[in-house]
Amino acid sequence: MLFPTVEYALFFLAVLLVAWSLHRWNSAHKLFLLAASYVFYGFWNWSYVPLLFGISLVSGLVAQRIQASGSPRPRKLWLALGVVICLSTLGYYKYTAFFLTTVLNLWAHVARPPKMRIPEPLLPLGVSFFVFHAISLMMDAYRGKLKQRVRLSDALLYVAFFPQLIAGPILRASNFLPQLRASRNPNAIRVNRALLLIAAGLFKKVVISNLLATRLVEQVFAAPQTFSRGDVLLAIYGYAAQIYCDFSGYTDIAIGCAMLLGYRFPRNFNAPYTAASPQDFWRRWHISLSSWLRDYLYIPLGGSRGSAARTCVNLMITMLLGGLWHGAAWTFVIWGALHGFYLIVHRVWSGISWTPLVRFRQTTVWRWMARLLLFNAVCLGWVFFRSPSFEIAFAVLRRLAVPGAITLLSVPVAMALIAGLAGQFQPLRWRKALEFELGNWPAMARGAAFAAAIFGIELLGPSGVAPFIYFRF
Amino acid sequence: MRATKYNSLSQLTAVMAGFAVTILLLESGALLTWADRLEVSPARNGAVRVTAALHKTLQPLGVEQVRKESLDGLDRLGWSDDPARLLAAREKSRLGVAGSNSPCMAAVHVPNTAVPKTVAPVVAGVPRLPPLKPLPPAAQGQTRVVALVGDSMMAVGLSDVLLRQTATDQNLRIVKAFRSGTGLARPDVFDWMQEYPAMIGDEKPDAVIVAIGANDGQGFVEDGKTLAFGSDAWVKVYQQRTTDFLNLLSENGAHVVWVGLPPMKAGAYNDRAAEINRIAYTVVSQNPLATWWNPQPYIGDETGGFRELETSPDGKTTRIRAADGIHLSDEGAALLAPALIGWLNPAPPPVTTAQVTPQEMPAVQASRHRRGARGRTARP
Repeated sequence: MLFPTVEYALFFLAVLLVAWSLHRWNSAHKLFLLAASYVFYGFWNWSYVPLLFGISLVSGLVAQRIQASGSPRPRKLWLALGVVICLSTLGYYKYTAFFLTTVLNLWAHVARPPKMRIPEPLLPLGVSFFVFHAISLMMDAYRGKLKQRVRLSDALLYVAFFPQLIAGPILRASNFLPQLRASRNPNAIRVNRALLLIAAGLFKKVVISNLLATRLVEQVFAAPQTFSRGDVLLAIYGYAAQIYCDFSGYTDIAIGCAMLLGYRFPRNFNAPYTAASPQDFWRRWHISLSSWLRDYLYIPLGGSRGSAARTCVNLMITMLLGGLWHGAAWTFVIWGALHGFYLIVHRVWSGISWTPLVRFRQTTVWRWMARLLLFNAVCLGWVFFRSPSFEIAFAVLRRLAVPGAITLLSVPVAMALIAGLAGQFQPLRWRKALEFELGNWPAMARGAAFAAAIFGIELLGPSGVAPFIYFRF
Repeated sequence: MRATKYNSLSQLTAVMAGFAVTILLLESGALLTWADRLEVSPARNGAVRVTAALHKTLQPLGVEQVRKESLDGLDRLGWSDDPARLLAAREKSRLGVAGSNSPCMAAVHVPNTAVPKTVAPVVAGVPRLPPLKPLPPAAQGQTRVVALVGDSMMAVGLSDVLLRQTATDQNLRIVKAFRSGTGLARPDVFDWMQEYPAMIGDEKPDAVIVAIGANDGQGFVEDGKTLAFGSDAWVKVYQQRTTDFLNLLSENGAHVVWVGLPPMKAGAYNDRAAEINRIAYTVVSQNPLATWWNPQPYIGDETGGFRELETSPDGKTTRIRAADGIHLSDEGAALLAPALIGWLNPAPPPVTTAQVTPQEMPAVQASRHRRGARGRTARP
């Protein structure tokens, strides 16, 4: 069930109605949300609901065992068991074929590899997300971040809660489980903010992202050999706008829906293309994943506590695994490696303490130069991220050297590109002013305005709904 | 009144009521269309009844006229991605005619079908390796116009690879006429008879490669009656639609290769695909300009079943199907491309590279392709 569909709208309105009518009875309320989440997931493929349930159950039980164990050793063993089960599941579904084909292909360079049957399971939707939720639950229990004892029913809902189930944001158990303890407050629903988030998310996904995908990006990446420099550059920048609008649009809708149900989700994007350094970029792009990788991978690896070389190695390992998390292909690994490289270069650059350079780095001119430089470096990464193979990625890059006419620029494409990229520089106060202004309107009028916004989005969007890019991760 | 960040449940209820009333007023027609396009089932029939009643009640208020005028305005700006709508808008603006209720019909010429309406009995099975004779060579200096037509079976993988591999051939001009999520079973959702002429515009293809049918394993409503997939009545209607579409493709003497559906991963879905293939083969084999071509020997396993990975004689393993078990990966599409490009019979390249002919065994073709594609990686 995709967010921008009538099916989801009807499903969500029904869930909203029943969930709030049960808000006085918190257990029944949560049980209903859990059932609704399984229906949401089962709408894609019922046969994978037991997998979702199983992962949630294992993580909940392990978290309970960790909390119940007094000494460090059994706590560590329980955590290891839980993490191994979760990562094995992820590995089996997502990486088995990739790993085995890589091994066989390497083998083929030296000798004839053995014939073997490679398991080819269907990739469960959102498996990377719900496995990361499960690990977060067990890790937070291990680190003592959960103040109260984990209830199994809460653990199940935390992992499966439908607004974040398919593509995040990745919630932290330590932030979300306390919200499940108390009943929802019927006098503290942030309706205006939620409506603005949902409308903005739908606009970004349905209008900007879909339009750029169908009219620009897909055409160039399908056969880059048939396009020249102008179109290819447009398509690369177009993909930067498309993937931002696609993913941030999805999480805006998720955050807005959760908000209407009375829950708080963390912010997942904060105008990432306004960043002036790779470090800043990762504080603004897919924030819930980058902070997950920082807390559960980079810091346990040693973070920046060791030597400079060790820090660089930790950064590279984190980004390589972050790349692989996005997909079982070497193009994603290269994307991760590029970002690891950017982070290392920036670290070295920031460490230079020559006074004129330090002063220059504080100027507005440098900040804008850095933004421009970083944006283009990020776009280089997107070429590998978007391309189905290295052959296509390098063909795209090679075509940047071929002069020729721009053929794909049209008024809708230009508008979508500008809205997708320049829109990130809009001042935060505009959104706050709009939210404040809406608060002065009668409730019915706010609902009518929201409906008019949906109507406009439906008219402007291309026909058909393309799946969210991050679904396949 | 003082604005606050937080609202009460009663305010949320009022917001939702305002939303529901307005959206029904603005979108009752769109909701009816949505219900009508759902997969045929009792739930769909119920949704159609409810939305039709709503639409009937709300239509006299005239609010929905806003929608129609907005869409017309957007069409005039060239915003729509529907070729038939865009063509109709251009035509209207050229002729300066007032709006028509059926812009698609106003703009698109749909030829009369050349084949009699009688339908042949559907074959029990399809041949495994039918010949794919190369087209006669194009006249000296003449560009061959090739239309790539179909649903996502063409749009995902196959069109990309064909476009890439023919990009440098000056003797071929490719016309893209594919759209994911479409088919011949549901003209109410996407009418290929209207859209294809709009998609190709002024081009007159000499050759057409079509891959379609992956979304057609579903029932539909015909003359108010629900026809279940595979029933005699369904087969008869679907066969006629396939015939009409093939006649449209081969209009002006265009040669057509109809690429059959490959083996699918899910068993039940594979059975449906096989039924679609039998019908398509029955229709195509009656048209002298068209050839039905089975991709199974190229990307299926030895028993004709689904195969996800391909291991070449030199030991290199690649994924030839997309992660959904339905579409082709680029590597899978590349196994089909040599035969299809060989059929187009473009001018020989300057270097003496042997063209792949349809008589060659698939394994030989596959091995040739792989040698050319060393170093590639597949992504689901």
